[in-house]
Amino acid sequence: MAGGESGVVVAGARLVWRRQRVLWWIYGVNLLLGLFATVPVASRLGRVLNRSLAAERLVEGFDLTAYIELVAHPSAPLVGGEAGSLFFSLVFFVFMLFVTGGLLEVYRRDETLSPGEFFQACGSYFWRFVRLLIFLLIVLAAVGIGAGLVGVGLDRLAEDSPREKLGFWLDVGGGLVLLVVLMTVRLWFDMAQVRAVAEEERKMRRTFLRAFKLAFGNFPSLFWLYLRISLVFWVGLAAILWVWVQVPPQAIGLSFLLGQAAVVLWVGTRLGQRASETLWYQRRQPVPTAVAPPEPSPAEPSVEPVA
Amino acid sequence: MNWGRRGVKRAAGWLLVATGTAAFLLFAWAQPEPSSAPPASPILSDTPLSERIVAYEIDVRLDAEAKTLEATEVLTYRNRTGRPLQVFPFHLYLNAFQPDSTFMTETRRDNPSFELEEERHGSIEVTSLEVVGMGELTEQMEFVQPDDGNPNDRTVFQVRLPRAVPPGREVEFRMSFRAQLPEVFARTGYKRDFFMVAQWFPKVGVWWRGEWNCHQFHRNTEFFADFGTYDVRVTLPQGFVVGSTGVEIGRANNPDGTQTLSFHAEDVHDFAWTASPHFEVVDDSFAGSAGLVKIRLLIQPGHLEQAPRYLGALQGTMQHFDRWFGPYPYSQITVVDPPHGGGGAGGMEYPMLITVGTTWWLPEGLRFPELVTEHEFGHQYWYGLVATNEFEDAWLDEGINMYVEAKVMHSLYGRETSVLDLWGLTAGSIWFDRFWYSNLPDTDPMTRSAYQFMSSDAYGTVTYAKTGVVLMTLEGVIGEETLLRALRTYFERYRFRHPTEEDFLRTVEEVAGEDLDWFFDQAIRGTAVLDYRVQSIRSYRVDAGAEGERGGGAADFRAVGETEEEGEAEEPEEGEEALYRSTVVVHRKGDFVFPVEVQIEFGNGETLREHWDGRDRWVRFTYEREARVVAAEIDPDHRVWLDVDQFNNSRTREADRRATRKLANYWLFCTQFFAQLLAWLA
Repeated sequence: MAGGESGVVVAGARLVWRRQRVLWWIYGVNLLLGLFATVPVASRLGRVLNRSLAAERLVEGFDLTAYIELVAHPSAPLVGGEAGSLFFSLVFFVFMLFVTGGLLEVYRRDETLSPGEFFQACGSYFWRFVRLLIFLLIVLAAVGIGAGLVGVGLDRLAEDSPREKLGFWLDVGGGLVLLVVLMTVRLWFDMAQVRAVAEEERKMRRTFLRAFKLAFGNFPSLFWLYLRISLVFWVGLAAILWVWVQVPPQAIGLSFLLGQAAVVLWVGTRLGQRASETLWYQRRQPVPTAVAPPEPSPAEPSVEPVA
Repeated sequence: MNWGRRGVKRAAGWLLVATGTAAFLLFAWAQPEPSSAPPASPILSDTPLSERIVAYEIDVRLDAEAKTLEATEVLTYRNRTGRPLQVFPFHLYLNAFQPDSTFMTETRRDNPSFELEEERHGSIEVTSLEVVGMGELTEQMEFVQPDDGNPNDRTVFQVRLPRAVPPGREVEFRMSFRAQLPEVFARTGYKRDFFMVAQWFPKVGVWWRGEWNCHQFHRNTEFFADFGTYDVRVTLPQGFVVGSTGVEIGRANNPDGTQTLSFHAEDVHDFAWTASPHFEVVDDSFAGSAGLVKIRLLIQPGHLEQAPRYLGALQGTMQHFDRWFGPYPYSQITVVDPPHGGGGAGGMEYPMLITVGTTWWLPEGLRFPELVTEHEFGHQYWYGLVATNEFEDAWLDEGINMYVEAKVMHSLYGRETSVLDLWGLTAGSIWFDRFWYSNLPDTDPMTRSAYQFMSSDAYGTVTYAKTGVVLMTLEGVIGEETLLRALRTYFERYRFRHPTEEDFLRTVEEVAGEDLDWFFDQAIRGTAVLDYRVQSIRSYRVDAGAEGERGGGAADFRAVGETEEEGEAEEPEEGEEALYRSTVVVHRKGDFVFPVEVQIEFGNGETLREHWDGRDRWVRFTYEREARVVAAEIDPDHRVWLDVDQFNNSRTREADRRATRKLANYWLFCTQFFAQLLAWLA
């Protein structure tokens, strides 16, 4: 079996890099859907801003009151925009649910699949992953209810306490606990998906339970694997934000590039988690190699009887 | 003595230390230390500053566990009305904190889901009432509801005396009362062991404009009372730090573990006090033109490092008010920083005491503590000294204060950054006020009584934001210097009095030297909305004719190419001179008629300003020049703050898409980010 968890993280990153077509396709769809949501909003904004000198207050710096006035403008340039963004975000979500089978197959085989193979894999796992999603939503609902109840109690504690910072620290602590819980749930279900693809499993309840055993039986190493990759994202995002705040407000192009870098980083690190978990699974649960069909034996020379 | 080299060095060292110490002592002696001792007198004057119609003497005991007050009150009322008075109304504001009071009924009207929790109930009960020389009159007290007839509202009672008090004579009321303080959510009450005790005693109404003015306590109203003196003795547990209107004149520790503090105030129309065992006291002073004013900041321990923000804002504000309007006449100002959870007590004004507020994490660029300090100190002038009727003329204190707030904040922190300057985001005070106003510009006139507005939102918008914006626009009409002079005149003429809206408006007209009713009728007494827009700008080339004649005379102009503003104009051939006919149409969308300036910019860099009286619905400006009109802007100096839509005040020939691209970029990023967040479920 190959070396420790660091090796899995790095190997996962290399796998994502080798199969980067997946990353760029996902990013491209994300960008395209984002543009679909943005173009109508931009059109309505343009009708108010493009020929108005007052728009300067949004270009040179960012005057918050000008923005708020724009939002409340009688022509309502942003009304309906949220619905559009939500819709296209949902489309992206469905897209990701669809392609997850294909991308896990790419990582499992570590080879470029033809479009036919890719989409065949996507299709064959899509409904299984829909069933898995239902399980995920049930688990998340339970987490949400628990978090809500605890939150109400903590809020009351903070409200009644004379210590002003208590509320803040409770929020931070509670937030961290919730983050750990959510990461744990995600890596559990990622494992279920990896296993479903690796074992060509059709029974999602079985894979859900076995993934649970696998994930929680190896929780420290798996969680640490996920956490390290997540840290790459958070640190990278913080760096991008820091640069963005330094950038002059009129540098729209640079601002766009920084935003896209953040999105690529997120897609990349998420795929890194998938790839690393696939490799981790392969190293723990080696997949039986396909047995090549026996080669036909060479034809026996025919012996003709002597006359 | 044998000095030697070592000895010389040692002596030099001692000399250095001695010199340094002496210099330090000299410096320290030269700098006046803010004194922690209370001032000797509450006012910076040897003579009374007001009519002193009332004199209150109150002894109150605070039960810090039960959150109750037990008190006796002696009110001496001087009848200066010029007529005999037999009926006297009193406010009992704390009874507003009962479920079916008018205050709570109106709160539920605007917010049907509102419920008054048990711990937020408050009340006040007068247990005995005697008038000296006329006997016990407890049974003669009756609750009245002069505004809405709500029988469950007990915020006003009146008592009819056996005989009238002749004009020029005094009457002495002796009362006992007990009060239950509510957990604070609307100005007065407690939070844990913090107490903000305001509107806590029976307070006589005001004889104003020929009759008693004593309104019920409504959701949107504040207060109105006569000037006088207060002597208040507060008994409460030892260990509490107390701040109040007036100055402390004595204190004593009692054998039962309580302490009694005595306070005295003159020429004020209310008395509020606060107590908490956790206050940190920071002393400062302000050298005003009337004398030294002691500043006493009572601040939460966790906010101590923000003390300079409060004090810096207060010093700057006091300087501006002293210079612009006149001196602060009292010897002390107390600033109260409520604790966590007690924010309902914050952002409020009382004579010689203001409540502010902040949080431990508030960054410097978010100027909430500065803003609230400025605003509440401003009320010391507009309400505290110029004591307008906050029930009926709320705009006279809130609105004037908002205008002055914008001026002071601009001066101290920059016009575009006076409220917010953080991470590239900026916001100025007057811009916020303008936006606030533009959201609800046409529901109620400013002159409406506070309790008669359409809703709490409308009250806030009109009374605060609209008035500030109206005065800022008026500044553009008559000039900043004139308006400030008018305010100074108004202050000097009406301080320690109860002026009306007409007193203010006539003062402005008098100082400005012009009739401003055309403005006041629309802006203050009416609800007209001001909105001008550049409807269109068009330019097209005109041909000079076959002989090349050009200009004037017979119309031999043929339009060679007519271009819409968005279209591509026919460009002249090289060397060919072109003449353009341009039109700019300005449309008055709103009903408010206001003269405006329109700046026209031509393609050759030339600009000119047109003046339009705004009476008609639209106006067309026409030009024939060798350059096209490339831009038109209404109100280029940005003085017409009342215009509800700034985006339609200008129009350019060429589109500049930078702002659109910038916002579209943000929108795109947010959508992508949200999509990726949702994809986490996949």
